[in-house]
Amino acid sequence: MHVLRRAWAIVWKDLLIEARTKQSFNAMVFFAALVLFIFSFALGPDTELLQKVSGGLLWVGIAFTGLLSLSRTYQNEETSGGLEGLRAYPGDPRAIYLGKLLGNIVLLLLVEAVLFPAAGILFQANLWPYAGGLVAVALLGTVGFSLVGTFYSALTVNLRAREVMLPLLLFPALVPVLLGAVNATTLILEGDLMGEAVVWLRVLTAFDIIFFVICIWIFPIALEE
Amino acid sequence: MGPKTVVEKTLGGLALLAMLAGSYVGLAVVPADAAQGNVQRLMYVHVPAAWLSFLAFFVVFVMSVLYLIQRDPRWDHVAASSAEIGVVFTVVTLLLGMMWGKPTWGVFWTWDPRLTTTAILLAIYVGYMALRSFADDAEKRARWSAIVGVIGFANVPIVYMSVTWWRTLHQPPSSPRSVAPDILWTLMLNLAAFTLVYAYLMVRRIRLSKLEGELEKRMAYNA
Amino acid sequence: MERGTTLCLVGPNGAGKTTLLRLVATLLRPSGGDAHVMGHSLRDEPDEIRKRTGLLSVRGFLYDDLTAAENLNFTMRMAGLRPSREGIARVLERIGLAEVADNRMRTFSTGMRKRLALGQLLVRPIELALLDEPYSGLDSQGMRLVDEVVGEFKAAGTTVVLASHQDGEAVREAEQTGVLRKGHLEILPESEPLSRHLSVGGPAGAPGTH
Repeated sequence: MHVLRRAWAIVWKDLLIEARTKQSFNAMVFFAALVLFIFSFALGPDTELLQKVSGGLLWVGIAFTGLLSLSRTYQNEETSGGLEGLRAYPGDPRAIYLGKLLGNIVLLLLVEAVLFPAAGILFQANLWPYAGGLVAVALLGTVGFSLVGTFYSALTVNLRAREVMLPLLLFPALVPVLLGAVNATTLILEGDLMGEAVVWLRVLTAFDIIFFVICIWIFPIALEE
Repeated sequence: MGPKTVVEKTLGGLALLAMLAGSYVGLAVVPADAAQGNVQRLMYVHVPAAWLSFLAFFVVFVMSVLYLIQRDPRWDHVAASSAEIGVVFTVVTLLLGMMWGKPTWGVFWTWDPRLTTTAILLAIYVGYMALRSFADDAEKRARWSAIVGVIGFANVPIVYMSVTWWRTLHQPPSSPRSVAPDILWTLMLNLAAFTLVYAYLMVRRIRLSKLEGELEKRMAYNA
Repeated sequence: MERGTTLCLVGPNGAGKTTLLRLVATLLRPSGGDAHVMGHSLRDEPDEIRKRTGLLSVRGFLYDDLTAAENLNFTMRMAGLRPSREGIARVLERIGLAEVADNRMRTFSTGMRKRLALGQLLVRPIELALLDEPYSGLDSQGMRLVDEVVGEFKAAGTTVVLASHQDGEAVREAEQTGVLRKGHLEILPESEPLSRHLSVGGPAGAPGTH
């Protein structure tokens, strides 16, 4: 399928550039670490409290970090003629959405791979027994975040005050993702007998599917000149 | 905007009458609630306001879909007007909810699913309008806000379900409502009154929106 | 325009040459009316036009952190082609960048970037080449390269539209010349001396009376 091949070309390009410059990755990891540290300072040495809220803290970190990388999604296209350059190529513009989406997901997951263990250390919570569940939440939550985030970044890229508009538009759209991810993570870390957490995982899955369909469908309209 | 048209005057008059009737009945005629006292009367404005804010948003959704399919600027005018009026109703809903909450539950805010969803609805509306204010080109503005209108609306049921799940897992649901006939009747009356107010405001706002559109077009030619 | 011919666009700054080229390349949507490019409507079938059109733009669609070869590789893949190392090497050879094929574009000079941008048009089969200020930033060798490439396009039957302030062989060999002023395009009759509308080596002065 041409769309997939072109999307893959975009993913390849973005990850290659990222691997060489490490611009986004470094900024994201540093930022996420900062968030974790500040929370640790704020909540003090009470490890029991930290463990209870670690789910929420993790996702605050991920959300802000993700936001950081989203703003750059189309920005590194700036020097190369912007989104316009990609649009000049023939073929379904959805390839652009898919490519950028996958790039964002991979990048965010890589940062989380560093973040989760770091949180485990800082909050003195042993995460290994829950690795399976945590990976599931991380995947579903990251996909949900990136789906809406990638879409809205394309929409706001040419807007004045885009740094304000992106989080403003994103916030209400992400409520289900954040609720689901935070609650699932917290439940899993509390050793939830996989009863309630599954409900949240289902919410996340439903969100991901619904918004994947909607965003992919509407993307060409968002991209029109 | 010039003098009011016949439609506007009629709607305006009807709305005013209905609001007066509804308020009178709500405040003076219907007996106060046994458990909650006079505070409960706030429900007669809070509930209709909430309904209307959702109705307005539904209108935004429908108009946005229509615009995306047909690209007719008329739908955009209606959508934008409904969004603006919807914001007003949403703010009213939230304020009244808080006013009711303090004496009843002791707090201004609870994470009640309906209240929370309404707050998020407000955020979506605000985002919608901020987007419009930052887009200079009329076509882009209409198209982008239509997209946000569609996605925002699609999100509302999901948000509501998520918050409901969240609350029921942690706390029992709040405020069961008994529906005595005279309460129901008063509610319906006020609901009708609010709907008339919405219709009146819409007609005025849409006309204003069309005039603004004209002005914009003329200024573009002269630029 | 007739297929396979060359049109040269001239006009003062801000006349809209770049805008016109971008419109034809379907990067911009017409605010009113329509046009047909290679038999396809600009409004309704932009993708058909994109498949067969290459744009050499002033800003360029190149990535600083990719190498020359990788940039061309990307262009080919985005155009729906399977890139071959030999094909890319051949193009790089043609545009004189074979030695820096694996250097990142960040290290390139303006002239080298321009050549690479030209190369982007050579890696795909196009029927219409739109060149926006092809000579700018190039030394005399580079300018000769542009002329040669335009000649090759002509020989292959590719239609060429180029917008240029500067004089050059390709400009002079163009079958038609159009003057663009304040949004109006006027095709000059063949007898009209082109020199009135061009300057050598620098940005154009005001064209003559018309």
